[in-house]
Amino acid sequence: MVESENHHNELGSILIQKEAIASIARQSTLQSYGVVGLAPKNLLENIRQVLVKDAKYGVAVDYDHDGLIIDLYIVVEYGTRIKSITDSIVNSVKYNVEKTVGLPVRRINVHVRGLRISNMD
Amino acid sequence: MSAAELTKLSPAERHKLVSIPINGQGLKTLLDAGMVWLRTNQQNINSLNVFPVPDGDTGTNMVLTMQAAFDEVENSGVDNVGQLAHAIARGALMGARGNSGVILSQIWRGFARALDEEAFMDVKLLAKALHEAKETAYKGVVRPVEGTILTVITDISAQAEVSVQRTNSFTEVLADIVEAADASVQRTPDLLPILKQAGVVDSGGKGLFIIFEGMWRFINGEPLDKALTEVLPLSEMDLDDAMETVEPGQDYEVVIDFTPEPAFNLEGYYEELEKIGTSIQVGEGDGIYRMHIHVPLENRYLPIDHTMTQGTIQKILMENLVAQMNEKNNSKNPKIKLAPVQPGEIAVVAVSPSHGLTRIFASLGVAAIVQGGQTMNPSIKEILASFENLPTDKIIILPNNKNIIMAAKEAATMTVKKVAVIPTISIPQGLSALFRLIPDSDFDEIVSDMKDAIDEVETGEITTATRSVEIDGVQVEKGQVIALHNGKLVASTGSIEEACEALFVAADTSSYERITLFYGEDIKLPRVNQLADKIRSIYPDHEIEVHDGGQPHYQLIIAIE
Repeated sequence: MVESENHHNELGSILIQKEAIASIARQSTLQSYGVVGLAPKNLLENIRQVLVKDAKYGVAVDYDHDGLIIDLYIVVEYGTRIKSITDSIVNSVKYNVEKTVGLPVRRINVHVRGLRISNMD
Repeated sequence: MSAAELTKLSPAERHKLVSIPINGQGLKTLLDAGMVWLRTNQQNINSLNVFPVPDGDTGTNMVLTMQAAFDEVENSGVDNVGQLAHAIARGALMGARGNSGVILSQIWRGFARALDEEAFMDVKLLAKALHEAKETAYKGVVRPVEGTILTVITDISAQAEVSVQRTNSFTEVLADIVEAADASVQRTPDLLPILKQAGVVDSGGKGLFIIFEGMWRFINGEPLDKALTEVLPLSEMDLDDAMETVEPGQDYEVVIDFTPEPAFNLEGYYEELEKIGTSIQVGEGDGIYRMHIHVPLENRYLPIDHTMTQGTIQKILMENLVAQMNEKNNSKNPKIKLAPVQPGEIAVVAVSPSHGLTRIFASLGVAAIVQGGQTMNPSIKEILASFENLPTDKIIILPNNKNIIMAAKEAATMTVKKVAVIPTISIPQGLSALFRLIPDSDFDEIVSDMKDAIDEVETGEITTATRSVEIDGVQVEKGQVIALHNGKLVASTGSIEEACEALFVAADTSSYERITLFYGEDIKLPRVNQLADKIRSIYPDHEIEVHDGGQPHYQLIIAIE
């Protein structure tokens, strides 16, 4: 599997799997205020989720020479200001990923896939 | 309402607003107080940030969110507490900024939901609303992080439920809540390691505490416009005006720049400084802190010793204020002293365009001055503010300009005080009226006397035309000197002398006995003296006086009486 990001130092190479980055992003997203869950990226993932627990559920990680590109698929609590929540997610995911894996994050796309309605006001 | 307006409400008014059960307007006032106090402490909360991202400006975000909530209800007259709370929640939602702002909006949303359509809120309902606020706040996140604003709302809600078992008093419940919130904020570093590492408490939690504390301070008549501990941006530290008010025990001014150590505790630092001196200010910028304090002679080294225990000192500046004050008092621009007013006496408020005229008004017994004149009309608010704080309810306003009379009359209708506006359209009229002032005399009598006095003086104004125009049958070229008699154009000439002569003729000066010249900022004293001599030669029997008015635009304002 070539789904990894390469680093080198004088002693050898460091390979970071996309799954690892995805779990950090996922963790960070779920801790963000206003996010009540992740959503499947597509139908296939929706079916797969039933069978296996996938670290990349609701998160897609890609990279090019400028850095990581992360897509997040989220469900937001109804009655919150989505703009503020997504701004916060972008900031906190970028901060946590860059701090933990030391790779620049070039782009974060937040896809709001649904709203959870706990209470109608 | 502004901080000042909120603070001005009498204890009776405060308690009426928040008496149980609380209606919509009471809740609105509480929201206002919470917001004002939050704004006062905004910089403090901002400075608590440890996390470079995501929430770099919690204080500002929370203020903007509260402001949006308040804007939604500011002009609402709704008495129903439930409906008002829903409007607050809507405003907070729309204006939510940052993480803490979103959580705050959820808190208001839950609060409003519990109040539903209730007309009034008692303490039981308050506890229920706070519980619902907490529940709603937690619904917004899958993995709540403790040691944040969420923890603080939990503790607030828990305390409210306990407190309402013992008392029906909103004031007491609120006091309990504030205490619990404070304790909760202090506990946040134990719950969230990143806070402990940085040696701070959680900023969002602190913000929530401040909002409730603002409500509590409001009810108890504590000021809302001055933070207890305050960190300003360095650029906003105002170290100049300190010189105006040196009091006993303020012998030395000490300013210290320092870099605080990691465990620096601002509140503790402040507490210690308060024991040493007064006029304390602390500013922050780029990691450097600047401390400013006034201390008595014997304490002059204490701020340095104390600051050394808190960090590394970069620079110290020490000045002897007493020596500087002496020097300043010997200089020629002494501070103007307005007439003190006793309760029950008549106080006069005058609108004055310049320092010089203000001094003349002050020497004649004016109790308050509003800056303003021809090209800068003061607002109704400024006029109102000038006398609202005077210890008497008998006020006379001298607008001294026809464009200001309306605003003065408007201000008069907006206060409970007894206010009369004497329609003076010029400085000489204002002074003439002011001469009739007897502060402890009958109000209506003085007002009537002053109105009569207006007609006993002729006003002349000499200025330079700013454009070519024809008015009152007089052709004016730009740059010419023009003379106005009681506001009416009488001459446009090449020199000040000619303008004065034309004015004196128009004003029938021979039938009066005194001419007073107030010279403006655009003309020099020798030139005025030269003019005065000339006038003396024309009217040898008249008394001629010259005063430094310092007014803009008009070279001369002339009173003929």
